[in-house]
Amino acid sequence: MQQRRELDQVYTNRKLLNGQLDTPKWWLPTVSILGVVVLIGVVVIATMINKGLGVTGLARPVYWGLFITTFVFWVGISHAGIMISAILRLTQAEWRRPVTRAAELLTVFSLLTALVFPLIHAGRPWRIAYWIMPYDVARGIYPNIRSPLIMDPVAISTYLTGSTLFLYIALLPDLGNLRDRTTGWKNAMYTVLALGWRGNPRQWKMQTVGGILLSALMLPIFVSVHSIVSWDFAIAAAVEGWHSTIFAPYFVIGAVHSGVSAVVTMMALMRWLWKWDDFIRPEHFDALARLLIVVATGWLAFTFLELTFALYGQDAPEIALREMQMFQWPWNALFITFFLTAYLIPVPMWLFKRVRTNIALMFWTSILVNVGMWLERFLIIVPGLARRTPFVYTWEAYRPSPVEWTIFIWSFAWVTFLMLLFSRFFPLVPLFEAKESQVFTDDVMIGRAKVPAIVREAD
Amino acid sequence: MTNEAVAHESDHHAPPPNVAADVVARELVATTTGASGRFKAWTWILGILSVVGIAALIVKFIDQGDDSTKWGYVAAMVSFLLSVAGGAPMVAMAPVMAKANWVRPITRIASLFSFAGIATLIMLIPLVAILPPLVTEGARRRTIWYMAPDYSPHIWSTLGLVLLLLTGIMLFYSAALPDFASMRDHSTGWRQRLGKRLARGWVGTDVQWRTLRMRIGMFGTFYFLILVFVNFLISTDFGQSMVPGWRDAIFPMYHTVSGFQAGVAGVVIALYFSRKYMKLEKYIHLDAFWSLGRLLFALTLLWIYFFYSSFIVFWYGRSMNDIATLDLLIKGPMIYAFFAGMILLWFVPWWILIWNKVRRGTGAMVVGSFVILLGLLIDRIRTFVPAWSVPPENIHQKWLQEIPATVWPDVFDILIMAGGISLVAFTVMMMTRVIPVLSVWQVQEFNLLAKPIRYIKGHATLVAKPD
Repeated sequence: MQQRRELDQVYTNRKLLNGQLDTPKWWLPTVSILGVVVLIGVVVIATMINKGLGVTGLARPVYWGLFITTFVFWVGISHAGIMISAILRLTQAEWRRPVTRAAELLTVFSLLTALVFPLIHAGRPWRIAYWIMPYDVARGIYPNIRSPLIMDPVAISTYLTGSTLFLYIALLPDLGNLRDRTTGWKNAMYTVLALGWRGNPRQWKMQTVGGILLSALMLPIFVSVHSIVSWDFAIAAAVEGWHSTIFAPYFVIGAVHSGVSAVVTMMALMRWLWKWDDFIRPEHFDALARLLIVVATGWLAFTFLELTFALYGQDAPEIALREMQMFQWPWNALFITFFLTAYLIPVPMWLFKRVRTNIALMFWTSILVNVGMWLERFLIIVPGLARRTPFVYTWEAYRPSPVEWTIFIWSFAWVTFLMLLFSRFFPLVPLFEAKESQVFTDDVMIGRAKVPAIVREAD
Repeated sequence: MTNEAVAHESDHHAPPPNVAADVVARELVATTTGASGRFKAWTWILGILSVVGIAALIVKFIDQGDDSTKWGYVAAMVSFLLSVAGGAPMVAMAPVMAKANWVRPITRIASLFSFAGIATLIMLIPLVAILPPLVTEGARRRTIWYMAPDYSPHIWSTLGLVLLLLTGIMLFYSAALPDFASMRDHSTGWRQRLGKRLARGWVGTDVQWRTLRMRIGMFGTFYFLILVFVNFLISTDFGQSMVPGWRDAIFPMYHTVSGFQAGVAGVVIALYFSRKYMKLEKYIHLDAFWSLGRLLFALTLLWIYFFYSSFIVFWYGRSMNDIATLDLLIKGPMIYAFFAGMILLWFVPWWILIWNKVRRGTGAMVVGSFVILLGLLIDRIRTFVPAWSVPPENIHQKWLQEIPATVWPDVFDILIMAGGISLVAFTVMMMTRVIPVLSVWQVQEFNLLAKPIRYIKGHATLVAKPD
């Protein structure tokens, strides 16, 4: 439950704008190191495009490997923003307030990163233009709009546009605040970005209504994005393990599991790095961990159904695939690690309040979840392709090459780099939310007990 | 707008004032006595329909017990009753877990549906006897019971449903202890004696309250887990596995989610009638309808999402299994049911519930809920009737090679369906004579934790959220 903590507005401004009005000591070295890693990644990507996909481990019959796995992973992470911001806003969960900005930001940056992977996976990224500009219609050579591979970029770009707008609308009051506290080029930048924000009642009303409308509009997009990603696999009847009706909600709930865990990781880092102990408090981790228990258990139920109905058909190839996934080296090691890290270790730990309010433990368990969720995607995508089947004559095990691993590491460095860059110019915890939280929370005495309370406006 | 108009507008939206604790106890306990003539007439009608339905079930079993293809409507009825009677008590649980204050006054009405599980169990008995075994003539059909003994679905489904009924009743009873004590203290005659017996010495000590909350949490969690499990069993053993080649991993979840949707719709209907005919306006606030409306709207969207997720995979798959499954459940004998279900279970409720004005009222909400229940019944018929219409000798095929013709309900089916629905309504109505339809202690707690306040120029509620 959101506890009331008296914080005056001057203190709130000073603490939450400490990244923009001052530069923390650790910021420059960290950004520089990340910048170097990002640069290395860009060079490797450029080399791969120059040399071709032969530098990767992809070969018949495994054409979808680490890149597609990482693409699905980042799309999954992007579900954090809308889950936290839109759903919790619509359900009026008061504890969401300090978390929203970071979650929305994670959505935007992870989507930007996710989009890179299908592009580079295409080998010749410029040919992607053919999807946008159909050609040679006379001979019937044009993109098949019924294919999820076409629906996918449409859904993701819609999601990216909506999420950016969502982030921007929530930023407006803070931009107005920064405009009034800066000089020079920064002031000019904030003046342009603040769109004349003065904080009058009409502007506040429009900003609130805009946020609620966008929340409601973004929800179907949020669900559609990962559903369409799942249909990239599920509608392909030829690959065992993919053609399952449960894939869409299974992917969505998995995405929420990994996305919310990523927000926990980020919150812990924000609390440590910017010393925001007064704003990101143990009770916020507690609430997120409770949410994660529910989401993770729902995800487990979907996993159970996915496995059960894979065997339900009693088809020999499907059974062989599951045997390979669960009992053959090295897949079995990955499978065990996946289950342990995605559910069996973190969720039982979160059942204890002492763990839920321990920031270090929450940080590490949330990382474990994302290790597991990445492995889950890998285990869905690769074994189905890698299993030896009667009509495949060139067959070898897929092993990601150093090029793929470098690009994989690049993606994490890139997201972190963007985050830190953003934090230099914009507050990661929304100021107006922190202040509104002061107004909407209170304590009431019930008998002899002091109980936290929240104000609910009459509809 | 003038100042008076603003003040009037503001007062119109003011939360209703709280009622004193002793008045709550007295008034709510009094609702168990003095039933109106209309109430009695409806109870009689529903009671008679229930008895006729049970009689029809017995006669059908004697007459058609050897032909499983004629039992689709009973299977659909079992699924429908499980959805309504099983899903409704979740309203008493899920928002409580999320510490939603609005749900407190209505948890009782939701948990009363647990008793209606008896209707589901009665309908299941002949169906268990008729369900084909897993292995016939050495061939084993596709089921979730890979290596299990032949009669596993029969045993586990029955056990699951019994367990659900018992857990539901325990959930109800755990939360009803303080109210039985209120009956002991505020009523007379057999109700007082019953209250005294069932209150088990409740005086409201700290230990008793702690135990009560722990029990509610425990039984609530068990209930949820068992409900999902029973939905999984019934939807798979009595639906999917009757059709060769129908492999739909999402179907159990689809069944569960539509069950929650039906449960919420059932609670809205019960709430509407209690509020209107028992004069409980000061206890059942519009806030409850507003929140239930949002829940119902979300579940309606979830239903269409689950349906579409399944449909698109079959549609794109184009394997023989996929084509046959679509032909049987959507394009073939059940096409009209498919369209009717789609309109009633999704389009109409979606269009009704999307409006804030509707969710703030009661009339359109109850219409929307009735539409949902009708839509769900048709949807269950769409899935279970064609599943049971597959002749048992074809059940082992790789996929369904011949799509059976539409099976229309006979007179027994109509009586059984009317009886089943009546039995649910009858059970809930009878239970309102035994215990207050709203939980006395939860209404008191609601009043204790929510305080109407003035907020800037308007009204607001200060809601305490204890751990």
